[in-house]
Amino acid sequence: MARVGVFVCFCGANIGDFVDIPAVVEETKKIKDVKYAIEYKYVCSDPGQQMIRDTIVDHRLTSIVVAACSPRMHEKTFRKALSDAGMNPYLLEVANIREHASWVHQKDKEAATEKSCDLIRMAVAKSIANEQLHEISVPVTKRALVIGGGIAGIQAALDIADARIPVTLVEKSPSIGGRMAQLDETFPTLDCSQCILTPRMVDVASHPYIELLPYSEVTELDGYVGNYKAKIKKKASFVNFDTCTGCGTCWQKCPVKVPNEFNMGVDKRKAIYSPFPQAVPNKPVIDAEHCTMLIKGKCGVCAKVCEKGSIDYEMKDEMIEREIGAVVVATGFDLWDPKPYEEYGVGRFKDVITSLEFERMVSANGPTGGVPVRPSDGNVPKNVVFIKCVGSRDEAKGIEYCSKVCCMYTAKHAILLHHKVHDSHAYVFYMDIRAAGKGYEEFVKRAQVETGATYLRGRVSKIYKKGDKLMVIGEDAQIGQVVEVEADMVVLATAIYPYKDNPDLARLLGISYDKYGFLSEAHPKLRPVETAKAGIFLAGCTQAPKDIPDSVAQASATAAKVCALFSGDTMKKDPMIASVNPEFCSGCENCVSVCPYQAIVTEEIPMGHGSEEVRTVSKINEGVCQGCGSCVAICRSMAIDLAGFTDMQIINEIVAI
Amino acid sequence: METELKDKIVSIEKPAIEAPPEWKPMIMGILCNWCSYAGSDLTGTSRIQYPPDIRIIRVPCSSRVDPWFIIKSLQAHADGVLISGCHPGDCHYISGNYYARRRFLVTKKLLNFVGLHEDRVQFSWVSAAEGAKFAQVVAKVSEDIRKMGPLHLYKKENTR
Amino acid sequence: MDYTMQIQDTAARLFSEEKIDLFIGYRSTGFDNNQVPVLIHHYQDVEQLVFTDKSVFNLTNYLKYEYTRNKRVGLVVKGCDSRSLNLMLTENQVKRENLFIIGIACEGVMNEQGEKAQNCVECVMPDAVIYDELLGAPTGQREYQVNADINELAEQPLIERGTHFEEIFENCIRCNACRHSCPLCYCNKCCIDQETSTLYQGSNTTSGAFHALMTWSLHLAGRCVDCRNCEKACPSHLPLHLLHKQNEQVIYENFQEHLAGMIKDDRGAFYKYSMSDPDDFIM
Repeated sequence: MARVGVFVCFCGANIGDFVDIPAVVEETKKIKDVKYAIEYKYVCSDPGQQMIRDTIVDHRLTSIVVAACSPRMHEKTFRKALSDAGMNPYLLEVANIREHASWVHQKDKEAATEKSCDLIRMAVAKSIANEQLHEISVPVTKRALVIGGGIAGIQAALDIADARIPVTLVEKSPSIGGRMAQLDETFPTLDCSQCILTPRMVDVASHPYIELLPYSEVTELDGYVGNYKAKIKKKASFVNFDTCTGCGTCWQKCPVKVPNEFNMGVDKRKAIYSPFPQAVPNKPVIDAEHCTMLIKGKCGVCAKVCEKGSIDYEMKDEMIEREIGAVVVATGFDLWDPKPYEEYGVGRFKDVITSLEFERMVSANGPTGGVPVRPSDGNVPKNVVFIKCVGSRDEAKGIEYCSKVCCMYTAKHAILLHHKVHDSHAYVFYMDIRAAGKGYEEFVKRAQVETGATYLRGRVSKIYKKGDKLMVIGEDAQIGQVVEVEADMVVLATAIYPYKDNPDLARLLGISYDKYGFLSEAHPKLRPVETAKAGIFLAGCTQAPKDIPDSVAQASATAAKVCALFSGDTMKKDPMIASVNPEFCSGCENCVSVCPYQAIVTEEIPMGHGSEEVRTVSKINEGVCQGCGSCVAICRSMAIDLAGFTDMQIINEIVAI
Repeated sequence: METELKDKIVSIEKPAIEAPPEWKPMIMGILCNWCSYAGSDLTGTSRIQYPPDIRIIRVPCSSRVDPWFIIKSLQAHADGVLISGCHPGDCHYISGNYYARRRFLVTKKLLNFVGLHEDRVQFSWVSAAEGAKFAQVVAKVSEDIRKMGPLHLYKKENTR
Repeated sequence: MDYTMQIQDTAARLFSEEKIDLFIGYRSTGFDNNQVPVLIHHYQDVEQLVFTDKSVFNLTNYLKYEYTRNKRVGLVVKGCDSRSLNLMLTENQVKRENLFIIGIACEGVMNEQGEKAQNCVECVMPDAVIYDELLGAPTGQREYQVNADINELAEQPLIERGTHFEEIFENCIRCNACRHSCPLCYCNKCCIDQETSTLYQGSNTTSGAFHALMTWSLHLAGRCVDCRNCEKACPSHLPLHLLHKQNEQVIYENFQEHLAGMIKDDRGAFYKYSMSDPDDFIM
């Protein structure tokens, strides 16, 4: 027999002035099953809550209705009052008589009073069908998987590992470091990228809580938050890392030359190579696509010169499995291919290069020893034109979004050019200067004033060759004239574009991505590091274009999320989720197809009646279900119900008035 | 026999003039927690006034709404039903409102086909920021229902 | 259309090769050429089997019962029947490997008045879409036709339409024969029988019938194949197809979906969505 207690709140004058509360209480007392009803000035106050606690005990109440403000406001407060009185907190219902009655019917007290009575009647009817619910705890495997070993992945891995949580860091190339390792100096302070990055790379390699898997890729991810199982392919490196000392004899002697990806193809590397001198781990791998020994079975020079005998041409790809609780995706970015800009002579003129090629040239460990040179003749350029927004903010030829970093790195390039070639001059064609950030605007000013770079506001319409010079025709919108600049070299600030394998990775992980391939966050403002799939987080440019500080900040944010997830041995979850009654389930699996979280699996249960046969029914994974109720509404046999919003509760509300 | 039966039947949609003077419409509102319920709260917080005919039920998502709830509401006492959820693309649960949208269209058309005025059951997308829109929606539904009068859904007399 | 001999031969062969335990077909009642479904268990009984334009029932309905569940079954399916079978396969109610399907490229069956039945005149897919053996010459998919009765009703004023349906609901005796005859109503426990709904549905009243029939037709929306087993089973001769055809038409006109059961593994319109579904009816 239900014994419902109802507490009607005046909310000071908020409800009291527009609803006849004593009348409401009188009316409420007439409802069958209501054993106790009382009004109070502020039910949410400490004495108010104390009153609820006392009444529960004194009147042996079985459920509680608080008629007050919106449940979105104080439901948690009142639930706590219930549990403090030893009652299951989910036996509470809130009748929203403030937002839904007193505040919206201020000119009609009678109607507001009548409506309040109805809302209480509905809440009482619902509360009778309330069931005791208990927070769900899901076991957690305390190991994080970080995909991508760029600065974002490195930062996330270090932060998580510093909290003494084991991390597996998977990087597809032979060394961690990512795009940041390719940079020379960083804006706005011009500190050397390698100098600040390499200590962190070394930290990763030596951290007792980090398992570094270079030259590896994630191929499968099963399970759900706290309980994922990842399959990782360790690509064959053909070098035994345990014995290799990284002496470098092999790559010095290797006869095969291949364009060097790390230097954006400006120079050549060997078929056995370590991507750059500060690589971590500093062990070479053999590029199976180009090694003549692996292709034709002829050569074997590296094996002959290796004193340690570390070369193993028979090595195979290795599959390893890791049980993990959370994933941080930090796959970084690619440069957008500027081919559609034919008028810039992309691909036709050797001296039209991309910003990252320029970055490698001016880098001290780069292919040209830190001096920019013209790819056509090897001469040092004097006049260099920088064109911004190549691809970015161009719906017609490129992409709609702003790549965010180009304004800043172009200013940096102008300064670096001046540092490396003192008698040079930089011309920058720009649409706008977007320099929001600490010290950013000052940095652009520095490029303009200190180094004397000429900033021309306008788009370049054409580049043509005149002798060995490049003639750049563009508009200077500020003076409203067409200008022509004679340049030795043109640098295109090409847009940031998502890493090309992102869509494949997203499908593998079960997360979503946008039309470009950037991985989607759960909420653009309030959940920027989470994905819609619980336990998978995003860091760095894999989500959107970012500079280094932003990537690092987001990576640290993912670490905080991972640490919070792993803060107990189990995760606590709201119990308002769906569950299947296998007795009624006929196994049509239509619920499986509508679940947005892939939370529904199937299981085999005995047929019953002593039969040995089995039948298939749906089963909801408690760890994954978010409680939307999609499956409940489409289940024809009503085998699925949603705790807290059961069919019975809602029908009770509907028929209560 | 045939004529006898006809005489007994009270049409579902009686002309509005037959409404008793004390009649007040009862609209069952089923709102999703994340957008429309929050929006209706905002209507209250902003003190925007609307007709007092709606009784609101909170559900997690518009996809939780089984067409059965609509049928049940009409079969119980409601003169009309309003269902509201997040705008397409804004669903807190990614895709719930898209599934719901299909069911709502079919349910609405079916109810109209068996003799209910199509404005008896209405749907809206109201975001958490659209407090004013929620008030407008309720005002419209309320006005529509008042025009139509009480729903005599196979009740020989209106018991409410 | 008479495939009696071919079906008898195939059934006999299947029994002699021990490929089936049971054959579901039609036999003549001996009265006015009417036919009823028959379950054949033995080789010597196959002579009872007939198939003509009086073979009206959808035999896939018998696959939902426990009796046939784990037996190897041979059965005859017309175009519409094969679509319900397709859905039952998609919804895991039958196992394909247990079935031997004789598909018919159907020329339409007769109604009680001896005319071509309405659903056959309006049939979209007369050929069986799934079969092990096909009888007759396939004529392919036809263009979708709006049901004649719905067209007529849609033009009536709202009040008259309401009265028409009120009569229908009033005459429903809640015997649930429609449910039992429908191959797609296979739930272990029907929602209409469950506590939550029985508590308030008002049992055998007009309002109760409204609730039951509306819920039922919405559960079959996007799944009903218009075989009209329900209508043939209804002791009150209610035009139940009106509800199903109405839903089918709305789904066909508004969502770019296949008709129920036409495609393998297609679950029906309510179990998927498109971003571009109609939105104009929502404020």
